[in-house]
Amino acid sequence: MKDFGYAAPKNVGEAISLLTELGGHGKVIAGGQSMLVIMKQNMLAPEFLVDIKGISELDYIKYDKKKGLNIGALTTHRTIERSPVIKETYPVLSEMEDNLAVVQTRNWGTIGGNLCHGDPAGDPTVVFIVLNARLKIRGTAGEREIDIEDFYKDYLEVDLNPGELLVEIQVPPPPPHTGSAHNKLMVMKGDMGIVGAAATITVNPADGTCTGARIALSNVASTPWRSRAAENVLIGKVITGELLAEAGRAASAELEPPADVHGSSAYRKEMAELFVRRTAETALKRAQAQG
Amino acid sequence: MGKEHTEEYSIIGKPIPRVEARLKVTGQAKYAADIEVANMLWGYVKRSPHAHARILNIDTSKAEKLPGVKAIITGKDFNGFTWGWSQPTRDEEPLATKKVRYLYEGVAAVAAIDEDIAQEACDLIEVEYEPLPGVFTPFEAMKEGAPLVHENRPGNITVEYHWNFGDVEKAFAESYLVREDTFQTPRMAKGYIEPPATVAYWPESDRLVFQGAKGSPYFPYRILSRCFKLPLSNVRIITPFIGCDFGGTKNDMTNGDFSTVMLAKKAGRPVKIVASQFDTLTTDLRRHPMWITMKVGVAKDGKITAIHNKIVSDGGAYTRMSPLTHFLTGICMGMPYHLPNFKHDVTCYFTNNPSSAAMRGHGIYHTTFARECLLDMIADELGIDRVEIRHRNIIKNPEPGTIYETINNVHIATAGTEECLTKVAEAVKWEEGKKKERIKGNKAYGMGFATGTYLSGTQLSAHNACAAIVRVCEDGSVNYLTGATDVGMGSDTVGCAIVAEVLGIDLKDVDIKRVDTAFTPADPGSYGSRVTVLAGEAAINAAEDAKKQLREFAAKKLGAMEEEIVFKNKQVFVQSNHARSVPWERLVRMACYDAPGRVIIGRGHSKRATDLHTLADFSTGKGDIGTNYSFTAQAAEVEVDLETGVVRCTDNSVIAHDCGFPLNTQAVETQVIGGSYHQGVSAALYEEFKMDKGLTLNANFVDYKRPRAYEAPMTEVLHVITNDPFGPFGAKEASEGSTCSAPPAIINAIHDATGVWIKDLPAQPEKVYWALKEKREKEQKKEKKK
Ligand SMILES: Cc1cc2nc3c(=O)[nH]c(=O)nc-3n(C[C@H](O)[C@H](O)[C@H](O)COP(=O)(O)OP(=O)(O)OC[C@H]3O[C@@H](n4cnc5c(N)ncnc54)[C@H](O)[C@@H]3O)c2cc1C
Repeated sequence: MKDFGYAAPKNVGEAISLLTELGGHGKVIAGGQSMLVIMKQNMLAPEFLVDIKGISELDYIKYDKKKGLNIGALTTHRTIERSPVIKETYPVLSEMEDNLAVVQTRNWGTIGGNLCHGDPAGDPTVVFIVLNARLKIRGTAGEREIDIEDFYKDYLEVDLNPGELLVEIQVPPPPPHTGSAHNKLMVMKGDMGIVGAAATITVNPADGTCTGARIALSNVASTPWRSRAAENVLIGKVITGELLAEAGRAASAELEPPADVHGSSAYRKEMAELFVRRTAETALKRAQAQG
Repeated sequence: MGKEHTEEYSIIGKPIPRVEARLKVTGQAKYAADIEVANMLWGYVKRSPHAHARILNIDTSKAEKLPGVKAIITGKDFNGFTWGWSQPTRDEEPLATKKVRYLYEGVAAVAAIDEDIAQEACDLIEVEYEPLPGVFTPFEAMKEGAPLVHENRPGNITVEYHWNFGDVEKAFAESYLVREDTFQTPRMAKGYIEPPATVAYWPESDRLVFQGAKGSPYFPYRILSRCFKLPLSNVRIITPFIGCDFGGTKNDMTNGDFSTVMLAKKAGRPVKIVASQFDTLTTDLRRHPMWITMKVGVAKDGKITAIHNKIVSDGGAYTRMSPLTHFLTGICMGMPYHLPNFKHDVTCYFTNNPSSAAMRGHGIYHTTFARECLLDMIADELGIDRVEIRHRNIIKNPEPGTIYETINNVHIATAGTEECLTKVAEAVKWEEGKKKERIKGNKAYGMGFATGTYLSGTQLSAHNACAAIVRVCEDGSVNYLTGATDVGMGSDTVGCAIVAEVLGIDLKDVDIKRVDTAFTPADPGSYGSRVTVLAGEAAINAAEDAKKQLREFAAKKLGAMEEEIVFKNKQVFVQSNHARSVPWERLVRMACYDAPGRVIIGRGHSKRATDLHTLADFSTGKGDIGTNYSFTAQAAEVEVDLETGVVRCTDNSVIAHDCGFPLNTQAVETQVIGGSYHQGVSAALYEEFKMDKGLTLNANFVDYKRPRAYEAPMTEVLHVITNDPFGPFGAKEASEGSTCSAPPAIINAIHDATGVWIKDLPAQPEKVYWALKEKREKEQKKEKKK
């Protein structure tokens, strides 16, 4: 690893002014769980690290019945996983965290770091996409909010300008009769999914039709992938086993997934079909269980 | 039989906690990378970016000018020195001078005041290469006109053996069924998490001290003596605690090892090199990938009539231990099943991949995999139960005092395979289990069986001497000196336990000294499952020798015959009258302080390795490679996700192990569970280095998968006790044999569950998925035709 400068600002304001001062030469580090891996492989050699891990004002989980959930960017995976309010109101987030890496990584890695790393294989993003989340970003020019779907530009590339920090993730309250699920293809528990999928389904309890569906996939493209094709198969219909299979096929048909040591493109394509079917089915059951 | 036996002993035969456990868990144990020496420099190796290239020029001038750099070396500093596993195979240089033969081979090295500067200096060294076309599989290497890895080795052949016993062709012609198939075993990492590290210094200009993570420290002892033209008396290899080995790199030398010594000489200061995980995983020795075509003939009742192996193997860039590996692929084929006719053709090729070498289950692993899968295929074709077909072929445990001789003159005094197999089949309730429905929802469940064998107390033709020294201190405590090295398998504990048992004292009274070649007796090293059997025998003999000296004295003091004196529970007494006794400590003190005082030093060496039967002959494939042989049977259950191809081993697994007599039951169990079952599960399902033209694509433990402690399935270990007459207290090796039986048991289980054969390891999800899909599509086509 190459030598680098280092500072640990105490609050968001200090961090932003330091980053602005450093221009393009500064690099944010939070838990370092993604960054240190690529720094050790000499794929990234920052001149100056701005360590934000100690900024406690960004470490929080707030919940309001009407406004929904607000998570500070520096909240660790482990805190989210174990949060009683999340288990109660957004159980899909705890479900996702339980399969994310190992406890050691979850203890130190932050949710903001995960999203900003821009890895299309990451789990939280697809879950936040199907939960319709927005991101709050702060820079010298002030704050802006964007839809999480628009945050991802390319492989490991996100919509952050130099000097900007992700500060918060906002999740709206789910509509009634809505269920969400996340699942991924793991060889071992905690693996980055060879393919992952998240789904949110809303049903009309009166006639059983699907009134809303959001489906997203990880590790099938250079960015997290929202499959509107699969959603469209389901919306407006009473979901049957055959329809779920069709949604899977629709999602898979539009993909040209990457290949790596864990799976070929063809295998990922088939697994995308399967995991869309599996997660949508679980989400549907959860929506229906809400009576 | 075993039980009565155990009661005779005070220490051995029971669960014995590791002697070094407390030091390890409290962080007091020092590993090579922990060693710091005053005035120490850090070294770094400059590596080649080409897998095959001629070195035209190396310019170190820019690096020399970097402040903080204290010494720079290239291969030329070694004056043409080459080394290898044996005299005729010395084909490797400490650092390449004319040509690099694998990616990241070392070409130069720097010592500097810190590691970053050393690394930066390496970046400043300019090397001019002429890239050459390479060969990256044995099939490319064997082609006519293929580029040669070593110009003086035509056909790129590293080593080949062709053995023939009985009349294989005739036997096949007369067989009821002959089946042939090709199986594939991949490159695997040894997977130690301790980084290979060395510190070297020259206290005087003609005296070398080398402290390194070496499982066989007498290899560097001899190699460095030759390399630096030093008498062996001046080469001091000191072994710290070793964090795992599993064969290979810690037996052998690396570019970094030679570099530390040469840099230390040049800089006149101690030098330390710690290999990074990336360096380790891209350049270290790995398990040989092999393509094993095995042909098995059987009679109608499933009895094996003949086996013919044709094996192609990738040895990588240098010969290293390949002559032994490939010898081992065939030498134990006559076990654990009776084999009347046998032919073995194996060829290993040089390629421009990192070198292959020994790994746990060395050699035998590959052919065991092929044979055990083929036996299941044959059983199914003949309609014989898969456990039953094994029973019909198993070599029965020889009557005490008799010896079973295989067709290639391997001698077996004890073989518990039959009992092992019976026990595992009962433990998993196979008779009921085999009738059970295999498919539940989108999951399928299956059970697989395999047996295994392994040599213990390996006998090779050179450097077999192995000895121990037992020094009794005047307060009754004891120093045990051995040249053997514990690389994590628990041999330090077993050695101490043996010494304590023989002297009738407590385990805590015995202190083991780790290897320091200035003081400990020479020893071949930790390989070939030899330490417990041979170093154990040496420990018995050394302790007996010390006891003899004390017994003479005790006989005089107690007024009894020498042969009447007993040492037990720290008391020394007369057999016929236990009241005539003296406590151990008092006896020792009296003996030492007597006029003239005695210095009690017991010496002993192992004789078994060279005494027995016939020494193995590599060219004909005959003779004893082991002092004795362990046997295993294993049952493993898998759960297959039929939609994804993900296979999981369940906890429904049993391994029965005949290690003769378990000297430390706890060590045998943990070795079999962690050291062979988990490694076997890992080999069956997960582990493979993926390569692209000499580049290792998954050189990290995120992409190179192995199960972690908290998610690994568990197995049950059953001891089968056969009390081998050639092992210390009846012991044979533990757990290398069971490393070989796990992959076929698991692959057989996948077949039992789903009907598909995964003949190339590992059974990663995608491979299983396509095999399942292909089978489904075939069945659908058949349906349609109907
Ligand atoms: C062994 C292992 C297994 C893993 N398995 C999984 C898995 O299964 N699923 C999964 O999704 N992830 C997995 N990960 C990734 C892990 O979740 C992330 O590494 C972690 O969440 C990143 O958080 P961090 O705080 O450590 O970020 P860092 O590594 O510190 O930073 C990551 C990136 O984000 C930037 N950054 C961080 N915080 C901010 C911020 N607030 N504003 C702007 N930029 C910021 C940094 O500059 C950097 O570019 C795994 C990681 C490891 C090491």
